[in-house]
Amino acid sequence: MPKGQLILSCGVITLGAAILGGAFQIPDAGGYSSVGPGAVPKVVGTVLLLLGAFLVYEVLWLKGFRNHDEEAERALPMNWTAFAWLSGGLIVYGLTIEHLGFVPSSMLLFMATAAGFNSKRWLLNAVVALVLASAIFAMFNYGLGLNLPKGFLKGVLP
Amino acid sequence: MEVFDLLMQGFQVAMQPKNLLWCLIGVTFGTAVGVLPGIGPAVAIALLLPITSKLDPSGALIMFAGIYYGAMYGGSTTSILLNTPGESATIVTAMEGNQMAKRGRAGPALCTAAVGSFVAGTIATVLLTLLAPQVVDIAIKFGPPEYFALMVLAFVTVSAVLGDSTLRGLTALFIGLGIGVVGIENESGQARYVMGIPQLADGIEVVTVAVGLFAVGETFYNASKLNHVADTIERVKGSILMTADDWKRSWKPWLRGTAIGFPFGAMPAGGAEIPTFLSYATEKKLAKHPEEFGKGAIEGVAGPEAANNASSTGVMVPLLTLGLPTSATAAILLAAFQQYGLQPGPLLFETNAPLVWGLIASFYVGNIMLLILNLPLIGIWIKLLEIPKPQLYAGILVFATMGVYGMRQSPFDVFLLYVIGLLGFLMRRYGFPTAPVIVGMILGPLAESQLRRSLSISQGDPWVFLQRPISGTILVITVLLVVGPWVWRKVKNTQPAA
Repeated sequence: MPKGQLILSCGVITLGAAILGGAFQIPDAGGYSSVGPGAVPKVVGTVLLLLGAFLVYEVLWLKGFRNHDEEAERALPMNWTAFAWLSGGLIVYGLTIEHLGFVPSSMLLFMATAAGFNSKRWLLNAVVALVLASAIFAMFNYGLGLNLPKGFLKGVLP
Repeated sequence: MEVFDLLMQGFQVAMQPKNLLWCLIGVTFGTAVGVLPGIGPAVAIALLLPITSKLDPSGALIMFAGIYYGAMYGGSTTSILLNTPGESATIVTAMEGNQMAKRGRAGPALCTAAVGSFVAGTIATVLLTLLAPQVVDIAIKFGPPEYFALMVLAFVTVSAVLGDSTLRGLTALFIGLGIGVVGIENESGQARYVMGIPQLADGIEVVTVAVGLFAVGETFYNASKLNHVADTIERVKGSILMTADDWKRSWKPWLRGTAIGFPFGAMPAGGAEIPTFLSYATEKKLAKHPEEFGKGAIEGVAGPEAANNASSTGVMVPLLTLGLPTSATAAILLAAFQQYGLQPGPLLFETNAPLVWGLIASFYVGNIMLLILNLPLIGIWIKLLEIPKPQLYAGILVFATMGVYGMRQSPFDVFLLYVIGLLGFLMRRYGFPTAPVIVGMILGPLAESQLRRSLSISQGDPWVFLQRPISGTILVITVLLVVGPWVWRKVKNTQPAA
């Protein structure tokens, strides 16, 4: 029995339960239609609960999701190092963007992602990242009027 | 000849120099994102939404549409030259096209794909021009119950009919509907699932969801599962032009592909995958040398490519005339209209005729531009394929985070992007389709409004949907589409094996 599929199916049930629970907290004044703002969330939550239950049924009684090639997926082993590099890159970006500024945070993200793809050419990646991030910054901040954070270059850049 | 006059009005809009420029930018950018693996038209348009909100709507929409059908041309280049398809609808092209390229016939394969896309795109645009006013005439009489029924039909076809599994498709759809209910509700102004987080009050942005599911999810999947799978790019040797024999073998598949593809797109059924497979099967059956199939038969590239393009133009019929998106990219195009306070549908044809017809006219222009971009200039696009994976995906993530963060300068959106990216990764890993999530989150709130309006009119009587003949018929068809295949399977299983 594929464990991952079972956990995911239980996740769908949990999501359904959370949406259904939340739906009862929405004040429901239906007016003329007799259907208030809580009605659709209640339906969505209930249906997700049912769909999750059907998914569990497929996993337990049909030995896995219908028409899903679990063997082929198993044949590709999960590379957790790559996963960690990418996760780290995105989380660090979220944490640093307002402090370091757009260009340094984007460089870190670029280099972390490239490292996740087994690239060992650190210097090349740093240079490409610097050029790309600076070009985007110049184009969007000065050309298109977007406000990307300048970070520690706040006093230096126009 | 009212249609002709309207179309000529449209050409006056589309041929304005600035709109020609937007069209060119759109189709060029579209070809590029079609060629590049890991990023598609849905992500490209989503990323452009926040920075185009202040542009003139007709120019911006012409550009977005250009990205949409330009990506179809670019996708075929990747599937012919690379062993991994760029867009899901080009899987069939990849089977034959890659085989042709391996046998040194990459040039003719690219040529039949580009010319076939042009023929199909142009014929499909003519059909769109003729069909749209007819559908508008019918749709103008629709009330909220009919729209609600149509939206339910679109939900079901996008999630349950296409794809490997009705169950997983519906799960994806309801996750999308769940995302769609977050935020301030349209009719009542009631906040839902905001949990005290101010960023959630405006709802979850479609930009974050589309970029997270497609770009970030795809990057995670490639890094953690396909790390050691090497791509091999086939070289283009010799002439790119087709021989007389290639032309003779291609023109019928182009026309047949168009005939198969357009209806699939134009009905609220959506999805370009099924018509490409149907076209492939048809060509294999009709071919003089069926044994060539699987070893690089040019018909197997010409037909499916035409079907793919015709169906993606066909998708514009329900989108423009009914406001009904039937694919992820169409849903994001709908979001683009909404960004300018426009709602596609019969009313838009009356109130904003120059904009709608200008958009349709730009399809004719864009297809000509794409033919030029994809034949003489093919060399440039092949260069794009040579970007190594680490730098390509690193660049995609830099653009993705920039677009999502730049939208409203909030790190919260970056973390949300990460979470949705993980969801996208899991969905890919366990075979859940992602398009229904996008269609659900965009169409869900619209369907909810139509539902509430219908029930206001009927004073709460739910039978209103079945009592009105059109909405009743649509709902019955919808139920048959979900239950039919299931019943069919049961019946087949109970019969003794012959």
